Amino acid sequence: MNLNFIWLALGEAISPTTAAYALATIGLVVHFGFTGLLNFGQAGFMAVGGYAFAITTLKLGLPLPFAFLAAILASAAFALVLGIPTLRLRSDYLAIVTIAAAEIIRLSVKTPELTDITGGATGLNGAAATFNALNPIPDGRYGIGVLTYTADQLWVRVLGWALVLIACLIVFLLIRSPWGRVIKGIREDEDAVRSLGKNVFSYKMQALVLGGVLGGLAGALFILPRSLQPDNYGTQLTFFLYTIMLLGGATTVFGPLVGSMLFWVVLSLSDGLLSLGVRSGLLPLTSTQQGPIRFIIVGAALALLVVFRPQGLLGKKKEVFFSA
Amino acid sequence: MTANGYAQLRKRPRVAALVGVLVGLLAALSASALPATALGVDAPRTSAADVIDPDTAAETIAVWIRQTSDKAGIPDVAVTVEGDGFSQDFTTDKDGRVAVGLPGPGTYTVTVDEGTIPESAGKLPDGSNPREVRVVQTNKNVPANFLASTTAGTGTGSTPAPSGSAGTEAPGGTTGDGTGAAVPQATTSGTGFWGIVSAKLATGVIFGLLLALAAIGASLIYGTTGLNNFAHGELVTFGGLMAYVLAGFGAPGAVGIIGAVILGGLFGFVQDSAIWRPLRRRRVGLIPLMIVSIGLALATRYIFVFFFGADRLSLPNNPSPFLVLGAVSLRFTDVLGAVLSIIVLLAVAFVMLRTKLGKAARAVADNSALAAASGIDVDRVIRSVWIGAGALAALSGVLIAYYQALRWDTGSAILLLIFAAVTLGGLGSAFGALVGSMVLSIFMNLSTLVLPENLKYAAALVVLILILLFRPQGILGKRERVG
Repeated sequence: MNLNFIWLALGEAISPTTAAYALATIGLVVHFGFTGLLNFGQAGFMAVGGYAFAITTLKLGLPLPFAFLAAILASAAFALVLGIPTLRLRSDYLAIVTIAAAEIIRLSVKTPELTDITGGATGLNGAAATFNALNPIPDGRYGIGVLTYTADQLWVRVLGWALVLIACLIVFLLIRSPWGRVIKGIREDEDAVRSLGKNVFSYKMQALVLGGVLGGLAGALFILPRSLQPDNYGTQLTFFLYTIMLLGGATTVFGPLVGSMLFWVVLSLSDGLLSLGVRSGLLPLTSTQQGPIRFIIVGAALALLVVFRPQGLLGKKKEVFFSA
Repeated sequence: MTANGYAQLRKRPRVAALVGVLVGLLAALSASALPATALGVDAPRTSAADVIDPDTAAETIAVWIRQTSDKAGIPDVAVTVEGDGFSQDFTTDKDGRVAVGLPGPGTYTVTVDEGTIPESAGKLPDGSNPREVRVVQTNKNVPANFLASTTAGTGTGSTPAPSGSAGTEAPGGTTGDGTGAAVPQATTSGTGFWGIVSAKLATGVIFGLLLALAAIGASLIYGTTGLNNFAHGELVTFGGLMAYVLAGFGAPGAVGIIGAVILGGLFGFVQDSAIWRPLRRRRVGLIPLMIVSIGLALATRYIFVFFFGADRLSLPNNPSPFLVLGAVSLRFTDVLGAVLSIIVLLAVAFVMLRTKLGKAARAVADNSALAAASGIDVDRVIRSVWIGAGALAALSGVLIAYYQALRWDTGSAILLLIFAAVTLGGLGSAFGALVGSMVLSIFMNLSTLVLPENLKYAAALVVLILILLFRPQGILGKRERVG
């Protein structure tokens, strides 16, 4: 019996994908957890960041810092465009507008007419070249047992998690600052904050841009180990992020980290166990039936979490504003 | 351009070849048949000299072996292609691809020697190897894609597709295509500008009626409970799938439709009693309720995949034209769908306006506390709304399955359109949902006169956003609904 999958599943805890999901979820925590903005379009921010990164690298041939800068600027611009009209809307309207905007992005980049720029439905490949070219780690294989990585794989992990930790630190400091108190005040009672003379709209916009930029950076990080494919940015990406957020704790800074690691390890473990069961004939499933099970687990987990443990693993029950 | 077309494009490394494939696709039949069959058809294991040049062969298979995790090609894998006395060995190039020139059309077996896939790349999923590939005349670059994965390697999130097997269109997140793809089959576009306009208009009207069936339920649920039900698309899919199951038992179409509607109502009832009523009792807030509906949608959607697979399902249908009006040609089911929708929508209007239940539902939607105080059993009204919404959505699902196509994500693909229609008409207003659906669907189909076909869904969403910005109460909504 091959139990390598256990190690590989544990390895998911530090995979760049996990880091990208954690980073995007930190953005979502800024939106939803701290400001109370019901953003259902975080996948759109990731797509904008990812495309900006890939197009700057591949089509314009600019060096890496410009690609990251492009991801930041593009997602900030997307946040502004989205925020100016919608931040005055009620929260469920905001949810529908953001989810629709994310879908518009995904469908538009797939247009055959834009194939020269966005790669159409095929997406873009090889955006990581300039990133890997800057890799200071000497060639070779690093790690133990099954979990060995090439220099490039190690480099993306190191940088990805560094990015996540920096983002955590920035958000942590911001939330402790007076700015953070206003933001949380808006979440609790917008009118009260307004009556204190604060410009609620402007604060909400700043939060939307901050969280959106984190989402955009996550989009860039997300495509470093893989090609950019428009259908990766469907609505279910956002729903995965919500699950991660509620798992770790929607009103915590480090919840996304824990949530993302746990999410991917559990998913990989369950995948591994399932295929073990299928291969050994214990489970009467076909291999195509195995795939959907993870989504069923995620969906059920999302629904159960928000009802029975809305504070997540790290949050405090009294800070859960949204279940009132 | 189909997904298949893109898959084929990806297989050719050179730009010139890309163009060649495109041209070949568009004018497949005009391609001059090269004497590929001249090469020894019944030659046994051939040497390299006998390899048919894929650039000149009239029929080719494009094998592509990749890793699931990062979609990187796996080089130097041995592949054998056999069929009709033809048998050759190949190895994949550095991108994991190999183009196989064929002696002629037929069914070929592509076998990957799994021993030559490096350990680190993992294995091919069971049942994907060997693969039978059917090649018809002048069919170039027929895909034979293989995805190898380490057991945990699928955990990277890069594959929204529920199945690891390649070659089938990746079903994950193809939201737009679900509604966008299959329209022309219903109404053949006529000659001239007005012919095209009338064909698009007909499509818009019929689809609008079907959309309205689903949207009215969503609107009533929103009106009576305040819930934006993200799982409403699954009610729609459920109806289509139930009709498919009944058709599988040999039931005639009418039985399938009625059965699906009854089962859909039952599904709504079960959902309300098992999930939504207990949550109302717990006084769970609206935002968590919305998130619960998202989780429910995700789980239900993939339960559908689990039982029905990710491929397109079709209900038995007669494709011959039934009604021809100028440039517009409709099948029997298209006409039936439209007529049935109109009858049902009139019945809903009657129930809402003339019956006690309808009055009670409108009262609850208006002010549920006041309705409860005046002796209306709010829970009973909401239960009836769920049953009705489930039945209407199921009917919509069956008719959409007849009109366009049925897949596990048929309903979720139109979820945002349902929301857009409901918002456009005015949240919580049943007649608004009807008006919204019609306006949206006609706009969407006419937008393809100036926009690329695949952007019509995006165009509808732009309308949704604009409406929310400038008239958030919708066309028929009341001003005070906006909070």
